[in-house]
Amino acid sequence: MLRTGFFVIFLLLSSVLCLEDTVEEFQEQLSFKSLRDGRVASTFSFKTLLKDATPRDPQTLALDNDDSQHYTLFPLTLGQILRQYAITELHLTLNAGKWNYDSWGYPDEPGVGVGAELWAWMADGSSLSIDERWQGVRNALAGLFCASLGSLDEQRTTSPRLSFPPEGSLPDWGLPHELRHASHASEHVCTENLTPFLKLLPCKSLSGLAALLNPHRLFDADWHGMSLHVLWRPVGIEMRLNFQLVSDPLRISTNKKQDWSFASLFDRVVEKACPVAKSSRVIVDLPTYGVYRVHPEPSEILNGKAYYDLTNSNQVWDIGTMWPVDFEYPLSKPTEALLPFSVRRSLFGSTQDRGQLSIVVTNNQNETLQMLYLETMPWIVQFYLHTIRVHSDDIPSDNLVSNITYVLPVPHARPATFESVLTLPGHSTLTFTMDVAKTFLRYTEHPPDAQRGWDLPPAFLHPSYSHRTDLPTTLVASIHHPYLLI
Amino acid sequence: MSRFRDPSTISFQYDSVRRCIIASYWIIIALALPLWWKTTSIQRLPLPTSEVYTQAQKKLQIPLEICVDPVFSSQVSSIHASIRNVASYLEVNVNIGQHCNQSAGYAVLPGDQLLIQDRKLYYPTTLAVENLPSTLVSLVAPEMDQRAAQYSPRYRLSFTLLNEDGSAGQVVTGWDIRQAISQYISPITSALGILHNFTIESQVQFHAPLAFEPASLADGTYGLTPENLTVFINSAEWTLSSSSSNDPVLHFVLFVPSAKRRPLTILNLDGNPSSSSAFLIPQWGGIVILNLPAPPPTTLDLTLPDLRSSFSPFSRQLLTLLGFPRLPPSVSSSSKGTLSLWQIDSLLRQRTHENVVRSHDTLRSTVTVVSQIQGMPVDSQVQAQVQGALKALHELFAFARTNLSLDEMLVYSARALTLSSKAFFHPGMLALLYFPAEHKYAVYTPLFASAMIPLFAAAMREVKAWRKERKEAKAKAAKDVAVDGAAMDANAVDTSQ
Repeated sequence: MLRTGFFVIFLLLSSVLCLEDTVEEFQEQLSFKSLRDGRVASTFSFKTLLKDATPRDPQTLALDNDDSQHYTLFPLTLGQILRQYAITELHLTLNAGKWNYDSWGYPDEPGVGVGAELWAWMADGSSLSIDERWQGVRNALAGLFCASLGSLDEQRTTSPRLSFPPEGSLPDWGLPHELRHASHASEHVCTENLTPFLKLLPCKSLSGLAALLNPHRLFDADWHGMSLHVLWRPVGIEMRLNFQLVSDPLRISTNKKQDWSFASLFDRVVEKACPVAKSSRVIVDLPTYGVYRVHPEPSEILNGKAYYDLTNSNQVWDIGTMWPVDFEYPLSKPTEALLPFSVRRSLFGSTQDRGQLSIVVTNNQNETLQMLYLETMPWIVQFYLHTIRVHSDDIPSDNLVSNITYVLPVPHARPATFESVLTLPGHSTLTFTMDVAKTFLRYTEHPPDAQRGWDLPPAFLHPSYSHRTDLPTTLVASIHHPYLLI
Repeated sequence: MSRFRDPSTISFQYDSVRRCIIASYWIIIALALPLWWKTTSIQRLPLPTSEVYTQAQKKLQIPLEICVDPVFSSQVSSIHASIRNVASYLEVNVNIGQHCNQSAGYAVLPGDQLLIQDRKLYYPTTLAVENLPSTLVSLVAPEMDQRAAQYSPRYRLSFTLLNEDGSAGQVVTGWDIRQAISQYISPITSALGILHNFTIESQVQFHAPLAFEPASLADGTYGLTPENLTVFINSAEWTLSSSSSNDPVLHFVLFVPSAKRRPLTILNLDGNPSSSSAFLIPQWGGIVILNLPAPPPTTLDLTLPDLRSSFSPFSRQLLTLLGFPRLPPSVSSSSKGTLSLWQIDSLLRQRTHENVVRSHDTLRSTVTVVSQIQGMPVDSQVQAQVQGALKALHELFAFARTNLSLDEMLVYSARALTLSSKAFFHPGMLALLYFPAEHKYAVYTPLFASAMIPLFAAAMREVKAWRKERKEAKAKAAKDVAVDGAAMDANAVDTSQ
């Protein structure tokens, strides 16, 4: 009786076609780069494309009845949030550690500021105001990612004019789009954020490249961070989930070898392919120095990169790189700069009421560089714009800072936003200083664990403001101010 | 000469200065008391308590007019009694009419077979006429299924296709959900659109492990025991819940067992495989197990014919979860497949009654809790919500007999229910719930007792000193008078001498 039942089902299913449905696509990619201080940077990138989908028009928010939502690869929980608040573009990053641009170069994913950062583009014109939707999306994402994103409130929210252009396109509804940006440097990423992150992936961490996401190793890395990007292009809605980490094989290994492999970095290997991944590949940036061996043999080598195709493979993969000789730390600072410019940002002053913010940018190339400099500060730090001093190689040159936009902070309500354009002549060092005042705090306004002080949000530098396009888009300079306390 | 100054010559040791200092403490305390009172008191707006209690006493009577053909006139009193017996919320009015077939209301007419059509019941005269009352009861007031979810004006219907292990060989990569919903679910959601608003969503998951091992059977198949069914939902691993809305969700899960554990059947209590592959979790949703055939294809996309075996159970489960009454087995409906007016009307009446009872309970609990806990704030929103719920109930009760249709009654009752539960669960009501009076004393006593004791002691000492001084001054004055008198006496003696 039972057998006949299965036979009937089999007959029914025999009419089924293989999936040719291209409405949703999932691609995964993992790239490795050996760094010159012996560390290894790895970037997981999971991309889901919802073809022909458009963001929700905020004018339809007033309607009581929402359309039904059907997803196959795109996570429903995220889709609901995006629809409920009619978000056109969304970026969320949760990072821990300070990205060392000088020895690690430019990251694969530009958002490496410490703590949590959230920014979204939304169209105005709905029954709910942009700020109400911004609050809603913050709280919904806080619930989704188990992170304190609810604290990215109006005291931390800014709308810089130039610094965060939409990465994708904005639909033409005849409505103005607005940006909301907030960051919270004290929010640290940990396992409780990774679990919901993995649940957004179609294969979770059970098959495919995501199987390597072993929390014990990820959060042991010197730098680690995750990010979520949702954007719209005319082809459809694209969601990218990234996990980026910088691990130190020299610390993990018993000898002084720089060798790394899946097993050594993650304590796991790829055993099963994700059945719904349209493509699944691993890219290894081949080192530019020394003798090394990449194993197993890559399927393709192109432009100094080794490519592996893991799509629908049943093989066990343990990709890695081996060096015959021990790693030697570079004794002196390498002369060759990894980036066209480098930046240092600090806050001086040991008193409880005033200090000085300083940013030192060095242009490592011959050409003049123009960059957009964005500084956002919670109202606890107030800028004195009349004290701005700019020195280029110790010569006062105030003309090098231009196009200043400043939004005043409102105590207990709004942060300060300072945007300006810095001009750096070739091979020069620009020093920008500004006096700041630290405001008096009510006792309820102190953060928990008050002795730690405040984590101040990172500053952003966008060198692409000049006409060159080969430069990195954003550089994040983070500082922690340990004792800003009353 | 002494090296120490006389304390009474030091400015701050003057009695007056010292007393001023001590008095200033007391003055400050006295002035601060009103401020303290104001800052620690909470807003407690009055609630219409007596109105709530009166309202909660009332019982809604939903009118029900049944026109009975003279053929069945012998059963009129029996019909009346048996309906009142099971549904005291119905105000039954049974008429005997010649032209029942022309009326728009409920009518019982003689017919060839036991059949319902619109709001008419055709009862064959060949059947025992004594069974007519029980048939009518099961049509107008059927028993509410305990598995039905509580009433909510909005529901989310969430359809999930779960592959237990997509990497184990076979995987269902998609399903024709839009077609399946429009064929099997939309007829129900549109017919019940007067009761609820539905939002539909669906997702596919490729790794959905079970939290337990299904029993392995002798013939190489796998089975789910009745105990397994109670823990079937693995909420830790399956992302079924939605975080973005507070609407209740009804889940419909199509579970595809892993290629290693196929076929997976549901076992009866006696341990034998059941013929059904679907089961229902009361008030939560329904689950259907779909066993794929053993050989390849390795990836499948389920088309509408494949989904028929899963979606007809889903549609039945949806009806059960919404409390939709079943027709008695002997009664057939003229409109096959669609939902009959008898059933929809009885569901409307039941839901209205249920909502009224629930909003009465909620309102009564709200005012009771507020009166019991003195530290619970009541703000204007709560007050407005309680008043709004009461107003909706008043209107419902006032117009129920006269000019309200069943769906208008439901709208009123749903509004009362929504407002009353909003008031009951208002976040502002919790503010001081966990800060009771005992807590206050526990905070204030250690803080203020230690500060007050020296103040009291100082005040007492000063009062004592002042009284002593006054007494001394009096005594001295009296002594002076006495001395003067003595002196005068002495003078007198002197003069007498």
